[in-house]
Amino acid sequence: MKRIFIDAHKCDGCMSCSIACMNAHREDGGDSVYTLDLTDPKNQSRNFIKKNPTGGYIPLFCRHCDDPDCANACMSGALKKDLATGLVKYEKEKCAGCYMCVMNCRYGIPQPDTSLHYMVKCDFCEGKDGPSCVKACPKEAIYVKEV
Amino acid sequence: MSECTNCFSSRTCPSADKPLEAFIRSLPMETSHHRTEGQSTKCGFGLQGVCCRLCANGPCRITPKAPRGICGADADTIVARNFLRAVACGSGCYIHIVENTAKNLKNTALAKGKIRSEESLYRLAKELGIDGEDVYDLAVKVADEVLADLYKPDDVQMELIEKLAYSPRLEAWKKLGIMPGGSKSEVFSGVVKCSTNLNSDPMDMLVHCLKLGISTGVYGLMLTNLLNDILLGEPEIRFAPVGLNVIDPDYINIMITGHQHSMFTYIQDRLLEEDVVAKAKAAGAKGFKLVGCTCVGQDLQLRGAHYTEIFDGHAGNNYTSEAILATGAIDGVLSEFNCTLPGIEPICDELMIKQICIDDVAKKKNAELIPFNFDTRKEDGDRIIDELIEAYKNRRGKVKMNLLPEHGNKNTLTGVSELSLKKFLGDSWKPLIDLIVSGKIKGVAGVVGCSSVAYGHDTLTVALTKELIAKDIIVLSAGCSSGGIENCGLMTPEAAELAGPGLKEVCKTLGIPPVLNFGPCLAIGRLEMVATELAKEIGVDIPQLPLVLSAAQWLEEQALADGCFGLALGLPLHLGVPPFITGSQLVTKVLTEDMKDLTGGQVIVDADAKSAAEKLEAIILEKRSALNI
Ligand code: SF4
Ligand code: SF4
Ligand code: SF4
Ligand code: SF4
Ligand code: SF4
Repeated sequence: MKRIFIDAHKCDGCMSCSIACMNAHREDGGDSVYTLDLTDPKNQSRNFIKKNPTGGYIPLFCRHCDDPDCANACMSGALKKDLATGLVKYEKEKCAGCYMCVMNCRYGIPQPDTSLHYMVKCDFCEGKDGPSCVKACPKEAIYVKEV
Repeated sequence: MSECTNCFSSRTCPSADKPLEAFIRSLPMETSHHRTEGQSTKCGFGLQGVCCRLCANGPCRITPKAPRGICGADADTIVARNFLRAVACGSGCYIHIVENTAKNLKNTALAKGKIRSEESLYRLAKELGIDGEDVYDLAVKVADEVLADLYKPDDVQMELIEKLAYSPRLEAWKKLGIMPGGSKSEVFSGVVKCSTNLNSDPMDMLVHCLKLGISTGVYGLMLTNLLNDILLGEPEIRFAPVGLNVIDPDYINIMITGHQHSMFTYIQDRLLEEDVVAKAKAAGAKGFKLVGCTCVGQDLQLRGAHYTEIFDGHAGNNYTSEAILATGAIDGVLSEFNCTLPGIEPICDELMIKQICIDDVAKKKNAELIPFNFDTRKEDGDRIIDELIEAYKNRRGKVKMNLLPEHGNKNTLTGVSELSLKKFLGDSWKPLIDLIVSGKIKGVAGVVGCSSVAYGHDTLTVALTKELIAKDIIVLSAGCSSGGIENCGLMTPEAAELAGPGLKEVCKTLGIPPVLNFGPCLAIGRLEMVATELAKEIGVDIPQLPLVLSAAQWLEEQALADGCFGLALGLPLHLGVPPFITGSQLVTKVLTEDMKDLTGGQVIVDADAKSAAEKLEAIILEKRSALNI
């Protein structure tokens, strides 16, 4: 099973990971980063880079936790830990939009989507060849490791 | 274990020129082609032009959650500001070139020096309505009028433009209010506009870009060629060798880089004088040779008929310069402008190649600066020559040769200009127009501008050129694109085989290649003169011609200034990658769509050769049917 690991001290806050994440999940069919609409709130990143008040940056990425706060809090069964892949998966159809996951994740990863009916969270770039954020990071501040 | 810091990526970017690609990959030193891999992660904000570093609050970057910079600038303002900055810098570069060229013409005339083409002088003077007592007086007056225009304030319109530009275009520009004031002042007000918390109006800034485009095109491009013709001699059509095969290790070889050919005239002649050749011989060489690289090499190649003895040929474009040096057979680099890549410095150090720079605007870190000064050109020239001989003596024997004698070809057609082409056609544009009307030649594409490597060296340029000629669209080239296209053999008569049936027949009948090389990027000005002449002959305006431009692998800010000229002329302009504008829907829409209603021009962005060629062909067909042909 694979997870994204973080070397926060290497991160320089460039947000290439966030752009890559937005681009990987855009719905207009485009794939070139040149045409990603950076003014459209629908393009939401599933990872976040926060400034560390004591210096440097804190990259926030979904841990796909073994004991996931989000899935534990999810009453409708939309969020579930997939034991085969180790990923915490989201099924939009089952989501009630209650945002218990948003309130419970200790890393602040799940976000309401712009319609305020669903949530968005890291899907480990399912269906693509590996996490797009990791490929885009010029600093190797995030990397994929077998666990 | 300590980290290895000396090694470099053994992966290089692909090149359209396969022998060159293999050569570069095998080199024991790093080049730009190697560095593309380490720089392959591009910043998305930078690519879209929505990063602003204009003040200490920045860098600010536009995201869906942060649609404005701290000062309040939105994506449109940030993109337009960044774009105007680039265009103003690019324009400044070309205006520097024409300014120096005019000064050199004036100084040469005052010193009663060599005017290689009096015919060109009289022709230009007549066109500009200038009289003089003799050839020198006339040259001084022409140069003075050019300089006077360049130095006008930005609220005073330049004068020569009225005589040089095509009248329907002048009318259109006046109607749009984009006639430029003094070229230098327009650059100045351009950079002022895009400084911190000044202009925030994207439309105003884009209009300024068009003004800069016009002053760049008419002065920086067209006039530089015409002034150089006077000083250096007119281009004559002939066949010449190109590629790394031009390098002859028996000579003291000087690689020249830059854009200001008139700065080399003195030294170029001096290198052939008996006492200098004797010095070279005493050092063990057969004499001196200039090896062409970048645009100044293209310019020398273009006028090569006058310089057969000193000029060995054009070896390659900007991103071939490192490979040229890596052959070991170059003893010195004489540079005066871009594109003199910083990447040549470590190679020059390692191979003991002397770097001398003759214009401080392009001062290289390791180069000795001997600024070109007309009054002291003789002493300076001799000093340069002595230093080069010294370098030759120091390095030969110690540095291993790594030649590539089979690279390139020996029969590239060169020397094409608005004059030589017309002469070739029998002193008339009619034969070309007839071929276009008959459809044997569907249209004309100018494949111009630079060469870049981030997405492959000349790969798109060469692939697009092949697509276009296969569609019976004749290609005219100018700039570093020429260097790549010629080294790949597309400017040899044999390349006719790659053309579509109509163009192939034309090429075979005339013994010409399907791509005609106009030389340096400055010669984009010549292409525009061809366009003007064709339009005049047919009696239409430039945007009506079945003519398209592509700066497929544009690299520099200068290319963006050229591009703005293309747009002002009303021409469709293809680019392989967008010029950092896509972060603004407004700027993107104005440049790619709305411009059609303003000047007739339009930017087309497409990184794929096949689909780009299809789009350009569709435009050509549309223009043909509007002309009822
Ligand atoms: S969203 Fe939060 S709680 Fe859920 S798996 Fe990711 S990190 Fe863990
Ligand atoms: S793995 Fe994919 S979905 Fe998850 S943060 Fe990275 S880019 Fe976004
Ligand atoms: S791409 Fe890497 S360095 Fe840049 S912000 Fe993300 S984690 Fe940090
Ligand atoms: S473009 Fe801006 S955001 Fe991107 S790397 Fe450069 S300074 Fe940083
Ligand atoms: S000028 Fe405005 S957008 Fe630019 S860096 Fe300063 S605050 Fe940010």
